[in-house]
Amino acid sequence: MRRRPGIAGLQNQAAARDQYRLVGDHVAKLRTDMMKEQLETFRSQLEDFARKHKNDIRKNPAFRAQFHEMCAKVGVDPLASNKGFWAELLGIGDFYYELGVQIVDICLATRSHNGGLINLQELCSLLCQRHKVARDAVSEDDCLRAINKLKILGGGFEVISVGKKKLVRSVPTELNKDHNEILELAQVQGYVIVDEVEKRLSWSSGRAIDTLETLLEEGLAMIDDGHRDGRRRYWFPCVASVPGATG
Amino acid sequence: MQRVGDFKLPSFFNYPPYFTLQPVRETREKQVQLWKELILDYCRTLKVFTIGLEEDFPLFSNPEIQRTLTHEAREVFLSALVSEGRAEWINKGHKKCLILWMRIQDWADCVLRFVRDNGLEDSVMTVEDIRSGIESRGTELEGIDRTVLMRALKLLEQKGKVAIFKGTSADDEGVKFSA
Repeated sequence: MRRRPGIAGLQNQAAARDQYRLVGDHVAKLRTDMMKEQLETFRSQLEDFARKHKNDIRKNPAFRAQFHEMCAKVGVDPLASNKGFWAELLGIGDFYYELGVQIVDICLATRSHNGGLINLQELCSLLCQRHKVARDAVSEDDCLRAINKLKILGGGFEVISVGKKKLVRSVPTELNKDHNEILELAQVQGYVIVDEVEKRLSWSSGRAIDTLETLLEEGLAMIDDGHRDGRRRYWFPCVASVPGATG
Repeated sequence: MQRVGDFKLPSFFNYPPYFTLQPVRETREKQVQLWKELILDYCRTLKVFTIGLEEDFPLFSNPEIQRTLTHEAREVFLSALVSEGRAEWINKGHKKCLILWMRIQDWADCVLRFVRDNGLEDSVMTVEDIRSGIESRGTELEGIDRTVLMRALKLLEQKGKVAIFKGTSADDEGVKFSA
């Protein structure tokens, strides 16, 4: 279009701009509507799916984990509220709240034995023992979700990774890098010896003893002087490879 | 799960550090608590009345994990029972310990029940008969430790429920139950 000077030219330009904007808005609206519709369909499909597989979701921990993953991808959190559609449909909120209460219970009951640090696997098997009556299996994924919910309460519940294992911490102890490395080392046999710690981590003897003493004070470690070779072993009930005493 | 006779051992018995006295207070308290319960349970189940500190008592060592309680540890656990009235040192040197998995008062009640069930009011029995006579067979009193039984009888005597007297022969004592 040749640019013409004058009022008429300016008016034409403005009109054309308005037209473009109108068309643009229309297209955008169409797109949003379409997206909305798609999302709506997806949501209802997901709901249908949930309704259809309600029992699987409740009973089968692997299925439950996958369902959660799927929900997370589309931005639906079945645990977000206990009142919404999802909770009513699945009763899933209650499930995790109950689990949370039981986790707190177990952590308290075993605290004097393990100092407030418990192996996720052990916690899970203790939960399963309780659920035997109800015949619902509980997976580690379920435990993690329930613990995540507990965080809101600010009770200092946290999951920490030490080596390959996950530990659940129910006391406000801060574990530093040194503590973690020792716990990781202890996972092999359930205990460590000062000499070995020094050798494996190339630490000075003071550093190893100091760290072990702290863990001892925190109730996370127990000493064992009963071995024939006379070397003191530091055992860690939280990584117990021997069935731990729970009461 | 390990067993000694009919007794099922708890899982902490297989965890080596429980055989070493723990230096940290809270851990030690938990440890002492577990051992106290274990000793009482064991004695109750197998009807053990005395534990000698120097003896080969089955709970004092676990060959499977090659751990043995030190003399100090044994004394700590038993002393804890003594301080709760669930055990008593028999001699001054703390070498032997009487385990009261039932308190003397409970034993005394047992004797009274025994008298009532067998209609023994106003009759006389020897102490030895109470421990091993036909009447006591199958009851809690069968094979009761003599010291414990005498303590229970003395308690009853104080309350006027029985009278203890020296027997005519040997050194056995007789008991007369009151109506």
